[in-house]
Amino acid sequence: MTVPVTRKDLMIVNMGPHHPSMHGVLRLILTLDGEDVIDCEPILGYLHRGMEKNSGKPNNSTISTYVTRWDYLATMFTEAITVNAPEKLENVQVPQRASYIRVIMLELSRIASHLLWLGPFMADIGAQTPFFYIFRERELIYNLFEAATGMRMMHNYFRIGGVAADLPYGWIEKCFDFCDYFLTGVVEYQKLITRNPIFLERVEGVGIIGGEEAVNWGLSGPMLRASGIQWDLRKVDNYECYNEFDWEIQWQKEGDSLARYLVRIGEMKESIKMIQQALEGIPGGPYENLEVRRFDRAKNSEWNDFAYRFISKKPSPNFELSKQELYARVEAPKGELGIYLIGDNSVFPWRWKIRPPGFINLQILPELVKRMKLADIMTILGSIDIIMGEVDR
Amino acid sequence: MDNQFIFQYSWDILPKKWVHKMKRSEHGNRFYTNTDNLFPLLCFLKWHTYTRVQVLIDICGVDYPSRKRRFEVVYNLLSTRYNARIRVQTSADEVTRISSVVSLFPSAGWWEREVWDMFGLSFINHPDLRRILTDYGFEGHPLRKDFPLSGYVEVRYDDPEKRVVSEPIEMTQEFRYFDFASPWEQRSDG
Repeated sequence: MTVPVTRKDLMIVNMGPHHPSMHGVLRLILTLDGEDVIDCEPILGYLHRGMEKNSGKPNNSTISTYVTRWDYLATMFTEAITVNAPEKLENVQVPQRASYIRVIMLELSRIASHLLWLGPFMADIGAQTPFFYIFRERELIYNLFEAATGMRMMHNYFRIGGVAADLPYGWIEKCFDFCDYFLTGVVEYQKLITRNPIFLERVEGVGIIGGEEAVNWGLSGPMLRASGIQWDLRKVDNYECYNEFDWEIQWQKEGDSLARYLVRIGEMKESIKMIQQALEGIPGGPYENLEVRRFDRAKNSEWNDFAYRFISKKPSPNFELSKQELYARVEAPKGELGIYLIGDNSVFPWRWKIRPPGFINLQILPELVKRMKLADIMTILGSIDIIMGEVDR
Repeated sequence: MDNQFIFQYSWDILPKKWVHKMKRSEHGNRFYTNTDNLFPLLCFLKWHTYTRVQVLIDICGVDYPSRKRRFEVVYNLLSTRYNARIRVQTSADEVTRISSVVSLFPSAGWWEREVWDMFGLSFINHPDLRRILTDYGFEGHPLRKDFPLSGYVEVRYDDPEKRVVSEPIEMTQEFRYFDFASPWEQRSDG
């Protein structure tokens, strides 16, 4: 599609990998006609670390420290998918309590990810203040994670068959306090941002994606839901225990950057609702299926009895994958995060393909910025919500 | 219309020349095809009213060096209308060229670039086939099984030349490969 130009010599500008508003190391080569963008070419690969090759050598229990480095802002999702894929392959039963704990952690991680999307998005547009406000709430989430898992960001918390450790005493009350506080925080953001005329000028009508186009380009997550398609893997796939809670899919019709912003703010509020319901309904029981750690598994083994929940030294994790293929997916805050796993009758998988949502969502950027002004690139790039850690792997 | 219905319907309707094997399992249904019929098969799956798989989720390359056609390209597809997922698999060797599906699914653009970069499979009719994830001037295709984990070159900053240079790799310790299944538990078959 050729864009009409007003002058003969177009300027080629490099928005280099190091740039304050690039979300990670992304290089954009822009062809400009004055202030209008004629073409934009993203160049990736600056953060490629060879994650998929690495998983051929270490086995499943040692890969878990790598996986949080793909999407380093929503780390629970990468761990969840690493653990869900072998669980589905081998039909491992996860205890009910572990499923609830996982859902609580995933939704807290989703809120954390959307908060750290909101801060830089507003900072790119020019509003510096929300960037500090989001870190207030994110610090509270970090505290909760540190109490439960031991680490603020890269948790290594999920195990095949459950979670690594149970929630400490008093964690649930602290989490309830956080939920109540966070709802007032979201109201503050809405008062400050959503009806702000400067914000609306920058964001309304910018980067419109139609519903058909979004499906064609393979988008997922809030980008798809902001274009009118009500597709959420938590409702569609019914994984973990999401079908036991009462919540709605957040979606908008327009498909511009404002719609994507509203979808994400709405998702944060729905996540709080889900966390509150999960905290009220969390059952007792074991937090991990310890039997799956052994190679020769037996049914009704003594490892899942009541007494073994409180041992301090668990059997070391061994997990063998049989010779099957599987595509497992979760609804990450950025889109559909998936793993295509080919087992090989050993502890090492034959192929471990990561399907990152950011890689696909970023492909539409050259289409969206044609005929936009230079300043709109930041708005559009921010509203796509990419993390180069998962785009490049 | 659910997953099984779409799969069964397509298997009944499609000519056997296009789909020469099919496999159903609880973990996903898949069609095996060959590279000549890949494009018409995906075209059918995308546009036909009863299948309508409009979303290309993933293109994945797999390397089986023991086979004659050593690479396998897997297309993961999703139909949002019927909530069904289908996998289409082809095999190719190093010199086979597969027809690109960019005109059907625009998201295939970068996926095919990645398969080219990581495995060396080239695609016909791709608008822009070049490396996407590896370094500028990188030689080799990393995800092939005969490419070592550590690679062949290492980079360092060279002060006299004032830039980063690539040199053949020099490891001070031999690469340790642990061959047994688990360091903790011994299996009965050793």
